[in-house]
Amino acid sequence: MKLLLVEDNERVSQFVLKGLAEAGHTADHADNGRDGLFLAASEPYDVIVMDRMLPGGIDGLGIIAALRKAGKQTPILILSALTDVDERIRGLKSGGDDYLTKPFAFGELLARVDALTRRAQGSSGVTTLEVGDLRIDLLSRRATRAARTITLQPREFKLLEYLMRHADQVVTRTMLLENVWDYHFDPQTNVVDVHVSKLRQKIDTPSERPLLRTVRNAGYMLTAQE
Amino acid sequence: MRSSAYTLAAGYIGLAILALVLFAAPLWYAWQVTINDNRAEVLHQDSTRLTAVFERNGIAGLGNFIRERVGLQIPEERMLLVADAQLRPLAGNLPEWPANIPAASGTYTVRTLLQDKPVELVLVRKNLPGGYSLLVGRDVSRFQPLARRFWFGLAAAVAVLSLVGVFGAILIRRAILSRIQTIRQTALAIVQGDLSRRLPAQRGGDELDTLSGTINRMLEQIEQLFRGVRNVSDSIAHDLRTPLAELRSRLEELSLTRPGPERTFEEIDAAVADVDHVMRIFNALLRLAEMDTGLRRSGFVEIDVSNTLAEAVEFYVPAAELKDLQLLYREHGSLWIAGDPLLLAQAIGNLIDNALKYAGEQGTVMVESQRLADGSALLSVSDTGPGIPETEKAHAAERFYRGEASRGSPGVGLGLSLVQAVAKLHGGQLELLDNRPGLRAQMRIPALPAAIATPSLASEPPARVAAAAML
Repeated sequence: MKLLLVEDNERVSQFVLKGLAEAGHTADHADNGRDGLFLAASEPYDVIVMDRMLPGGIDGLGIIAALRKAGKQTPILILSALTDVDERIRGLKSGGDDYLTKPFAFGELLARVDALTRRAQGSSGVTTLEVGDLRIDLLSRRATRAARTITLQPREFKLLEYLMRHADQVVTRTMLLENVWDYHFDPQTNVVDVHVSKLRQKIDTPSERPLLRTVRNAGYMLTAQE
Repeated sequence: MRSSAYTLAAGYIGLAILALVLFAAPLWYAWQVTINDNRAEVLHQDSTRLTAVFERNGIAGLGNFIRERVGLQIPEERMLLVADAQLRPLAGNLPEWPANIPAASGTYTVRTLLQDKPVELVLVRKNLPGGYSLLVGRDVSRFQPLARRFWFGLAAAVAVLSLVGVFGAILIRRAILSRIQTIRQTALAIVQGDLSRRLPAQRGGDELDTLSGTINRMLEQIEQLFRGVRNVSDSIAHDLRTPLAELRSRLEELSLTRPGPERTFEEIDAAVADVDHVMRIFNALLRLAEMDTGLRRSGFVEIDVSNTLAEAVEFYVPAAELKDLQLLYREHGSLWIAGDPLLLAQAIGNLIDNALKYAGEQGTVMVESQRLADGSALLSVSDTGPGIPETEKAHAAERFYRGEASRGSPGVGLGLSLVQAVAKLHGGQLELLDNRPGLRAQMRIPALPAAIATPSLASEPPARVAAAAML
């Protein structure tokens, strides 16, 4: 996968570039807005990771607006030190696809980048999702594992749907909070973990091969792989 | 000393004088024109009539005619004189031909001596055939006292006006200046750091009172902002220093002792967790500060807060079940208010989180929403735990305050402060009551918070508030 990182802070850039390389991605780097816009407009990338505040005459949101105006639909993850919800909304309104506030854990960034590529590959029009022998029907809102029917509350179904849409990817607690509950704050106790373990009890019975795994220091992954 | 009162008075006096002059000038002009022109016209007619007499009856006839006229009229009314070629008087009421009169026929105004008295004459001279000269004139010097009185009156008016103006200025200055002096002294006290001072505002409602009121509201706002900033800096200084010091010593020790890789990575993981903790405090503080300053009000929309509560309860139910607690929501229909859904969710979340922490063995946490008689919304979370002792209640919502019962449990001590800030932002209040047993924390939120119900918006439906907030 080919990425573009537009970020002026050298240490953050090195940290991210090194991590992306270790995860098997190639990444170009621009350290100012002008170069960033040039690269983003001229090269094909799978995902662009864009800092908001940049030197070089044009800031992150300006670049995004310019790209979208030019018809470029590359998924963009905005990085920002502005944590305010209003700023987040502004970032997404300008055409960004996801918003991550600094400081961040690299696992969080990687998980979100993966989620964005998956979204870009297009899952619209799909009415059923499958991971191993786990299967959900998005129209009838039914979930089954092999021949067993799983009874889920609406929110549990939404949680499972999100995990299945991002199968084989790490999904962080923050991502779940934001996408399943639409909460953009940090609930002090780890309620998300409780929800996930409740869901796990329903989909992974002791006799079955576990699908929903906990990834240490990162989050969760739903996968049928060994 | 320059003073606005004096400038004002000077301007006022100047204006009044200008008005007087503008009033007097046309009057003067009208007097001059009508009286003088009229006088000249009458004199001219007289001279023409006398000339006609001369032409009909000769110099003797004119002489008789003039003598007859002089006998009939009052002395000052008309000066008539006919003289021979050597300007010796033949007939008339002037003892001699006045000096300084031009030789040609015409109308003249001359100053001259008449019987050793200085006079001003308006006269018509007519040179008749045979070297005779006719003079018809009038002494206008008797009008001069009238003119003098006119100008004197005008000058007196100006003088009185100026006097009144100056006196008024002194009075106004004394009245205004004393009040401005109070404003100045208060302002100086504020400059020296006493932000709690306020300007004295009488209920008079004049411009100065309105100004004082506006300045007071501004000070209120500044004090609030200032308090917010000071709280944040105090908190940062006080409460971030401790975890940062811990983090530093952890890293320093690691660098000094250089233990094996296993230990090192454990310590690094712990350090990352420390940083996350610091970040959490930091974010919470910023969010609180943001709310203190009222800036978050831009996120207000019209929401059914019972929905927000139901979702929050649903979110926490599994956590409650895990602790063997009952988490229930008792709602009384939909409850529309203008508010920030995200902050309200977080506030209720914090209350539920707290309640779950302290509800005790097999306890119950009850979340409730209802509309009060006055239209405001009451959102409450009650538990069956030990509650907060009366002595601690007052401090419970203070930043970083952690009660005796909370020692040893996780948390940074900002939960209730955030709830209180959210309630305040919505124009409401956080109340901590006794649930007998347990704690009942409730937020009372006005239907339309007074703080955002500015006069222009208050009369419009809430939907407009939301629309305005979206801009």
